[in-house]
Amino acid sequence: MAAVGIVANPVSGKDIRRLVAHGSVFDNQEKVRIVRRILKGLEATGTEQVFYMPDSYAIVGRALRGCAVSMDVTPVPMTLTDSQDDSTTAAAWMEANGVGCIVVLGGDGTCRAVVKGTRRIPLLPISTGTNNVFPSFMEATIAGLTAGLAARRSHQAEDLGYRSCCLEILSGDTVLDVALVDVAVHEGSFIGARAVWDVDKLSQIFLSRCRPESIGLSAVGGQLLTIEPQDPVGLHILLGNGSKRVSAAIAPGLFRQVPIASYETMSPLKAYPVLSDRCVLALDGEREVEVTPSRPVRVRLSIQGPVVVDAAKVMRRAQKDGVFVSTH
Amino acid sequence: MSLTEDKLIQMYTTMVRIREFETKVEEFFAAGKIPGFVHLYIGEEAVATGTCAVLTDKDYITSTHRGHGHLIAKGGDLKRMMAELFGKKTGYCKGKGGSMHIADVDLGILGANGIVGGGGPIANGAALAAQYRGTDQVAVCFFGDGASNQGTTQEAMNLASAWKLPVVFVNENNGYGISCPTCKSMAVADIADRAAAYDMPGVVVDGNDVVAVYEAVAEAVDRARRGDGPSLIECKTYRWRGHFEGDACTYRDEAEVQSWMAKDPIKRLREKLLEQGILTEDKDREIRDAIARELEAAVAFAEESPLPAPEEVLEDVYA
Repeated sequence: MAAVGIVANPVSGKDIRRLVAHGSVFDNQEKVRIVRRILKGLEATGTEQVFYMPDSYAIVGRALRGCAVSMDVTPVPMTLTDSQDDSTTAAAWMEANGVGCIVVLGGDGTCRAVVKGTRRIPLLPISTGTNNVFPSFMEATIAGLTAGLAARRSHQAEDLGYRSCCLEILSGDTVLDVALVDVAVHEGSFIGARAVWDVDKLSQIFLSRCRPESIGLSAVGGQLLTIEPQDPVGLHILLGNGSKRVSAAIAPGLFRQVPIASYETMSPLKAYPVLSDRCVLALDGEREVEVTPSRPVRVRLSIQGPVVVDAAKVMRRAQKDGVFVSTH
Repeated sequence: MSLTEDKLIQMYTTMVRIREFETKVEEFFAAGKIPGFVHLYIGEEAVATGTCAVLTDKDYITSTHRGHGHLIAKGGDLKRMMAELFGKKTGYCKGKGGSMHIADVDLGILGANGIVGGGGPIANGAALAAQYRGTDQVAVCFFGDGASNQGTTQEAMNLASAWKLPVVFVNENNGYGISCPTCKSMAVADIADRAAAYDMPGVVVDGNDVVAVYEAVAEAVDRARRGDGPSLIECKTYRWRGHFEGDACTYRDEAEVQSWMAKDPIKRLREKLLEQGILTEDKDREIRDAIARELEAAVAFAEESPLPAPEEVLEDVYA
């Protein structure tokens, strides 16, 4: 039986958006309680092996101290850097060691870090971050059940959920970085406090998905049209004075009027240039990549993002197969 | 709030000034010229600098036992600071307070403080006065991870939030309260988590990134000036030196120190400014030479100043 991975980000839900918007402080003890419920769900599916990313707060270790389970729950052997690289390293190790599904606790940024480590393992992302477009709010016990079942199955998207598109940052033909939901061109030169909340500094937005009910920068596109995560199409918005102005919830409790100069759908067959030669790219809401005149970049929609597990789909299949039904 | 090139250079200069001041203090303390205790701020310069760059002279700060960086960033006079450390009559406290009592009310510096967790209630008092008078002044309370476990700090955060006082609680989490690592003294890893208990925003920033500190504090100060109440900003940082000068640091290993030294906040900003052409090697040399001259003057002032006279021993002493 394939092992299940857990990546619980100890720093998700704590950035400046609690100050500039109305994001919740998502304390780590709540993540501990969520992990306990995941472990119980996994145990109920007969999962025997769980690998997890260690972290400085010891989220999974603390979870185990308050919840006995009959599984081998083992940290990934890795040196912590206390940065997002830890999620990437853990995910890559899980891919190399036969993990069948990863449960991710975090927001869009955490999921992005995991996808940088693996695009092969199906992900079950649970929201414990700020802007949550990629992960979902779901009861952790059911997430544990779902992940345990998903890890046993094939990695085919149609069996588990859907294969998500993502956005690739290209320098020449080299993929520099990846975003799952959005890439924003921030007309500044510092990464600073990372989050993006001043839309006046944005000149372009690239989206892999958008829905009118989304939050974050994809909410801007979501007021213009709907693109599902698995649709082989993206959206490129040029910000500036034009005929349209969109009111969008760009962060929890934070609405902004965003002027739209123009927008176009993105094809996966084409890379779209970042028009500024000195700026910072915000990936999934966090300033990450510095662009300089010596390193122009383009953005490409990839249809080869990760498989995202749909809990309802997997659990209904379990119902159909009578996985949790016994007869006397 | 946008950062201009001038502001960036000003912040870089302040960080270098703090580093060089502390390096001089280290040197003179080792030479036996500075009495008492000193707690150096080397490695944490971005926190004081990024924070005070947002403030005006009319805003208040409360400092800690590791206060030199805060005082310099708020505009403290290097000569009077150095003279105080030397115990001289021309010092901020006429040579009777030393490192942990330096204050400059005209600059809104309400004092370094030898009491761990002593600053919160004082910041609240200053903020309450501002609120009562209807000014837009803000009080910043610098405090460490050790102070975050003190009742005074928690009481101050509670009351500041209950009364919507214009306070910004800037936590300098350098990982150790004296020799005790935070993982042994705190049930949570992030002090910012505690903000939720007081219904105030709590955020974590990279305390070795002066721009990140500036951005977060700017937003918190705006919030406080609008009358929306206090905020808690936790700056993750590290002190390169021991808790005090003379601390053997047996509680931490060299690899940890080296890993944090690699994240030197001054080097990080310098490289960034050079890469963007905001700073040049010549301009950097000019800044450093000017600071060296300032410090030479401060040391000369301290050395040449008289000690308090024996008959003055009971003057200006309240306890």
